[in-house]
Amino acid sequence: MIAMFRAVLYSEWKWSRLVVALGTVAAFAIPLVSLQGAARADRGALQAQELLRSVQSWGTLYPLLATALGLLMAIAAWAPDHRGRHIHALTLPLERWRYVLLRFGAGFVLLAAPIAAVLIGSSLAVLTATLPPGLQAYPIALAVRFAFAVLVAYAVFFAVSSGTARTAGIILGVIAAVILVQVVASIANIDLNLFGAAQTVLLLGPGPLAVFTGRWMLVDV
Amino acid sequence: MSRLLGLVLAVSLLPSPLRSQDSLVVRLRRQADSLLGTWREAQLLADVADSLEQVRATAGSDTIAVGGLRIIVNPSPLPWREAAEHAWPVIDSLYGSAAEDLSRHPYIFRAVDPDSGVRRTVLHVGVELPWDLDVRATATLLLTTVNAPRFDAALADWLGSGLRPTLHPQSERAAVFVQLLTVPSEAVRACFLGDIAHCKDVLQLGDSIGLLERWYATPAEREALVASSFTDYFARGATAPSLQNCRQHRDDACTSLLQSLPPGSLPRPLAHAARILLVREALRAGGRDAYRRLVARPSAPIRERLASAAGMDIDSLVARWRNAALAARPKPLTLPWWAGFAAIGWTAFFGLCALRSSRWRL
Repeated sequence: MIAMFRAVLYSEWKWSRLVVALGTVAAFAIPLVSLQGAARADRGALQAQELLRSVQSWGTLYPLLATALGLLMAIAAWAPDHRGRHIHALTLPLERWRYVLLRFGAGFVLLAAPIAAVLIGSSLAVLTATLPPGLQAYPIALAVRFAFAVLVAYAVFFAVSSGTARTAGIILGVIAAVILVQVVASIANIDLNLFGAAQTVLLLGPGPLAVFTGRWMLVDV
Repeated sequence: MSRLLGLVLAVSLLPSPLRSQDSLVVRLRRQADSLLGTWREAQLLADVADSLEQVRATAGSDTIAVGGLRIIVNPSPLPWREAAEHAWPVIDSLYGSAAEDLSRHPYIFRAVDPDSGVRRTVLHVGVELPWDLDVRATATLLLTTVNAPRFDAALADWLGSGLRPTLHPQSERAAVFVQLLTVPSEAVRACFLGDIAHCKDVLQLGDSIGLLERWYATPAEREALVASSFTDYFARGATAPSLQNCRQHRDDACTSLLQSLPPGSLPRPLAHAARILLVREALRAGGRDAYRRLVARPSAPIRERLASAAGMDIDSLVARWRNAALAARPKPLTLPWWAGFAAIGWTAFFGLCALRSSRWRL
């Protein structure tokens, strides 16, 4: 089983190494860039607010990067199989669920690199910066959050990508139906807020996309 | 002879401007007296109108009394008594023994049907509100509309807002913490780091001499203040060249511009939440009669009034205020404990979806 996993990991690495390499570089650079100028010796009272603003602005890139990594890795994991009409996978002496699990696990292993890059980049950025008194750095919390976001994004896109065109059609159809019902309800002046409900279910509390919301602050009060 | 004639003429003409000046003063005084008289008459009429309006607004209403609260309301399904029972302990805990004075100024409310389009008579006293509020919303309304008893102009001016019970004490303190940490002022930063003298400065508890230099200590702060708050104000007329100089990092220009502002218009480094928290701390420290002591001497300096209310010297009170603010550091924006489990759960769920994909059920 380990040999199979190695083989799947190797093939997936070949298909997605560019994505992993670029993602890792970006994940390492964002924390460093977000604290640019924080090590200035002439820091005064004016800079604390500016620093927080800068960190908050750059913080929007973490969930975007997590989403992009999840999407591209999921596409890379399935693209060759889709191109070959899954003939190679079906010729393997392996149950399908095991094959999917190996692919899924291999993607996670490869995504460890950008997650580690966020942790190392954040720690390095914090160590080299001179933060104003009172402000605190959260490199580990940020990296953990990034890890969860990457995992969820990868799982969502992996599930979508592994499906058939029919599955994709059903998903798109459901989304279109929700939009249509909402539009009709608005025209008919019916008190129905499906978008609000969807937002609550997806983004708030334990929703699947809740981990992407909020402020991604490497440095905060 | 002609010189003598000229002298006599000059002496005779000299009193005439003085006389005309005297008549001008008398005329102006007469006009001022007339204006004062008219104002008094208008005031009297306004009082009469108010009392008549009050009678009209309260006709057919009930009076609900809970503690010192007197609420005059029209018949409605609103849970006034329960709301007042919720609100009164909060009001009482802020104003202490002075809360009893509220009975002299009853609230007037008129509950209305929120869904009705029928035109109502317009009342000019009291507050109109929909009659479908629950107990919590009604209690919140009572708390947010209460008028502090014997709240004088000097205290209101220093505070910059009313003094009402807070609905979110922790948020209020956390806001002060964030201000102490992020306000672009070296004085505030020094206060955050424990310099009580600077805390008193930024809370305006000392004298007002050299306030600009004490609030905004560095040239960069003064330039930033002009750039952020007064660019439009100084951009026209005689101050425009100074503004240009200020933008070119000339501190003397920035300082002179800020010094030319009308008294009391220099922006306070800390927003009013900081001062409100200080008053709350004074009242909390001083016991039930603290508020009474606070409003007892409106002409006394604010620092003396606060110290008297708190029953401690002003330095100790400010230190207590600072400790209260520092203890309210907001929670960092890390994920809650369950978010990790939720993320792993969703990852597993979508993974299972992939395993069960129809593509593989051939």
